[in-house]
This record gives sequence, C-alpha cells and structure tokens, in this order.
Amino acid sequence: MVNEIRPPKELIKKWEEEDEEARKTRKSMANWNFINKQPPRIKLALIVYIETGDIYKAARIAELTVDEFNEIRIKANIPSIT
Amino acid sequence: MIGVIDTCFLIDWSRFRRREILEKLFNVLLIHEEVLRQIRSESAIGYVSELFTKGVLRLYPWSNMDEKEFIILRSQVSSNSRIPSLERPDLLCLIIAYNSDAVLLSENVGIHRVVQYHPRYSHVEVWIALDVIEQSVYKGLIKVDSEEDFLSIVKEYELDTHHSFRKNKVRSAIERVREWLMR
Repeated sequence: MVNEIRPPKELIKKWEEEDEEARKTRKSMANWNFINKQPPRIKLALIVYIETGDIYKAARIAELTVDEFNEIRIKANIPSIT
Repeated sequence: MIGVIDTCFLIDWSRFRRREILEKLFNVLLIHEEVLRQIRSESAIGYVSELFTKGVLRLYPWSNMDEKEFIILRSQVSSNSRIPSLERPDLLCLIIAYNSDAVLLSENVGIHRVVQYHPRYSHVEVWIALDVIEQSVYKGLIKVDSEEDFLSIVKEYELDTHHSFRKNKVRSAIERVREWLMR
C-alpha cells in the first residue's frame, strides 16, 4: 500500500492562478474560425485543450497521438504554455 | 551533462530553427521507447533519427526496478485535479532523470508540479525550452550581446513552435542574462 503524497494548499492556490491565466491566453489566441470548422470530435478536443491545457487528455478525445494532436493545436493557433 | 527528453519537449523543440544547440549542450540525451511511440510528425521523427545517427540520443534500458518505482510514483501522485495528466511516458522520464542524475527536458506542467512537492523527486532539475536557450547563452552556443538579442531568440522559439512561456519566467531569465552580460 502506497500513500498518496499531496501538494500543500499554497501550491494548489498558486497553480489555480497559473491555470486560469493560461486558459485565458489560450482562449484569446485561438483561431475560432478554424476550430468551428473541425469535425465534432476534433473541435471538442481543441476546446478541452483550451480549457485545461492538457494535451494528453485532448489527444485521447481526438483519438490521436500527442504529436498528431499538436499539429492540429498549431493550426488552431492555440499556444502551449509553460 | 546528461539530459532526458520527454514527448512534450521533443515535439516542440524539433520545430525550432536552432534545435541543434541541444546536442551541443548535452553530451548524452536519454529517451524511453514509449516516448518514441508517441511521435508521428515529420519534424519530430526526422529530428530523433538525426540525434540517433549522431550518437547523441540513446534508448534508456528500462529495468524491473524502474518499473517498480513507476508503480509507486503513479500511486503517490494520481489524484490531484491541479496536476494535468501525468501519463506513463512522462513519469518514466522523471524516473530516468532521477536515476541517471540527469536534467529532465519537459514541457509537461504536471511534471513541473510534481517536482515542486514530491520529496524524492524535488531535487530533479526540470528544464523547459526557455532554460535550454538560457543555458546555451551561458555556454556560448548562442551569441547574444544584449537582452534584446536573448528575447529575439526566445521569440523565434515561440514563433516556430506556437509555444508561449509565462511572462514571469521570461522576465526572470532576462534578468539573469542581463547580470551575466554585465560580468
């Protein structure tokens, strides 16, 4: 049995602020014209990426590898942010 | 210096016009075969092939001990909603970096967060591309005469990869480069 190691509350608060800032940046920079023209599954994956920044989750929704989804992310002008 | 490359870093870095600086900064780059399975784009496959041919990139020999370590780490960090997907290939890279005393090259926010609080992995150095560019300046692999020169290279990376660095990270890097230029 392995115990979970939890991050301290102050880190979680800092991460929440970082995530919100990144989400706003992705949303404002995205090419919505391109996104709206995509097949429903790809469109959903791009929206999930904008909202979460989670490329693995988005790639799974799109049924693509991370690298393949990254190509679409670039075409949609959504920045990855670190 | 030894580096470990994860998927998120690799797929962006392979698009950078100055990508060759990485092989000059690191003597050896380690990669896990599960990372290789994630790459599909022409730029990433071409870049990886080039690094293998030059003898810079090596496949890490994943062991049963490493696998046990992965199972433990996976259970320890599994359920925090503020940590984006920690997929198996990226966690493997963290373990490789820890066990090889190497710098982990990763753009995975989740990995950067784990090393901020996990006692075992908190000493692992995790670099984003901005750090690689900055270190390349200090090693003379990229010549800059001013903060503006440095910033223009960072902008090149952002343009080539559609990757943005957080403003505070860029500001901190500029300050360190400024101090270095004044020496």
